[in-house]
Amino acid sequence: MLRVLLVTDTDKPIGDLRDTLARLGYEMLANPATPQALHHVVERERPDVIIVDTESPSRDTLEQLAVMNATAPRPVLMFSSDANQQLIRAAVHAGVTAYLVEGLAGERIAPILEVALARFAQEAQLRERLTQAERELAERKVIDRAKRILMEQQKMTEPAAYATLRKRAMDQSLKLAEVARQIVAAAEPRDHANHSRK
Amino acid sequence: MNATRPPHAAPEKTHLKIGFVPLADAAPLVAAKRLEFGHAHGLTLELSRQPSWAALRDKLLAGELDAAHTLYGLVYGVQLGMGGPRQDMAVLMVLNRNGQAITLSNRLADALAEHGALPRALAALGRKPIFAQTFPTGTHAMWLNYWLAAQGTHPLRDIDSVVIPPPQMVVALTGERLDGFCAGEPWPALARQRGVGRTVIRSGEIWPDHPEKVLACRRDFVARYPNTARALVQTMLEACRWLDGAGHRKEIAQWLARPEMLGVDAALIAEQLDGRDASDRARVKFFESGAVNFPLESEGIWFLTQFERWGMIARRGDYREIAREVNQTALYRKAALAIGVEVPAAFGEPVFVDGRVWDGGNAAAYVEGFGVRG
Repeated sequence: MLRVLLVTDTDKPIGDLRDTLARLGYEMLANPATPQALHHVVERERPDVIIVDTESPSRDTLEQLAVMNATAPRPVLMFSSDANQQLIRAAVHAGVTAYLVEGLAGERIAPILEVALARFAQEAQLRERLTQAERELAERKVIDRAKRILMEQQKMTEPAAYATLRKRAMDQSLKLAEVARQIVAAAEPRDHANHSRK
Repeated sequence: MNATRPPHAAPEKTHLKIGFVPLADAAPLVAAKRLEFGHAHGLTLELSRQPSWAALRDKLLAGELDAAHTLYGLVYGVQLGMGGPRQDMAVLMVLNRNGQAITLSNRLADALAEHGALPRALAALGRKPIFAQTFPTGTHAMWLNYWLAAQGTHPLRDIDSVVIPPPQMVVALTGERLDGFCAGEPWPALARQRGVGRTVIRSGEIWPDHPEKVLACRRDFVARYPNTARALVQTMLEACRWLDGAGHRKEIAQWLARPEMLGVDAALIAEQLDGRDASDRARVKFFESGAVNFPLESEGIWFLTQFERWGMIARRGDYREIAREVNQTALYRKAALAIGVEVPAAFGEPVFVDGRVWDGGNAAAYVEGFGVRG
């Protein structure tokens, strides 16, 4: 049975991957709390596979073990000439990094990578949707603000302010939010001055 | 070929993604971006902060990064495929010299003051000492090993060497589980400021004016985009030159201090970039009229001698050939000439903390001359 270490030290909620892999019959090692604990777990417990977020700050700790300890797992990258290159490529794309002990056959790691990939990819999509939503909200706010500035400074009605924004965006081939940002930026220092005078 | 072609052909690739790890010596990259030194050479730089050296390496190799601010030794580690992927690499230029330090916990610093010799101070700890560095083939691992060995402490047998992300080292030092670390500024300075550790030696006192971070890329990048590579070196040389101007480092410290960069007090970073509390041979250097930046082959070979010394690679007879291919000296000369940066006519032979001299000659004899080896 493969011994698997899942490192969860970034804000990606991948903790439940641990339960999934345990259910699939892999021996899951305890998640270390610090880089030093990670070092000791790898040396003492000798995992066959380590799954870690590509963006984890602990990765260099694993690199130290890979270089200095011949039996420690080594990083697997998408340029390896492994038969599972496709799978590894997808994993790298989703932000999964795997470290494997030498000589571990590709087909034995494939199911682990598949599950990890599914979990990370799902997370990546969630994240993408969240940032998209945040971006849209932020853009709406700045457009509203720009409209108010035009309405106040140029005594425009709301539809006229909006039409002005749209026209400028089209003339300059910019996004509406971008034009709005310029208007807000231009008005902001004056606003501050007004506030400080009050 | 067209004889009337202008001397500075346009870059083949104009938008470059440049990786870096947030450290005070990332200053040249931040300066290059903030002041857009690339524009004059037809380049737009996009900086990409990396959470680890491993991530930076992987993205360089995968082509997600075009070039990066990298530990000198790491480039040679990848060139040889040490413990990971192997790839033909290129060192375009040296970005800085010095600016790193070894810092001890207060407990060990006190013991060293009391016992005088490091082996005796370490024995007083009552357990196997633990030292941290930043990457197995990196510069900090080599400075730490070199210094320990020079003190009569075997870095592979007498201590445990672990890697801890630099921002976490200061916290680790406050606990009982770390006795010292070697890392780039401002982390040693932060440990001093918080009173949790004392710097025992600066890296420039181990090897005066040692090369530290380099501008690196894959070698096929240089082959495919030679004009881009040259333009990038010109850009970074101008950024390094700018950092030598009065007040400029203080300015860059403001940017480095931001939460999305180092998240450390700007004054502390400025102090380290200024290097006023270090001796002249140990203060961080970025340009010095071009004396800093030439990618000297013998300096690359030095890292190979240390990999051999510590048993990380078996001896091989082609260190000079490797360094000649990795270090892009011809490209550097072209770039330097184009913007009027002088290439030193001669280079001195460094004298290390243990009195040994590296003349760049016989690597095997140099390695064998070390009493403490892996």
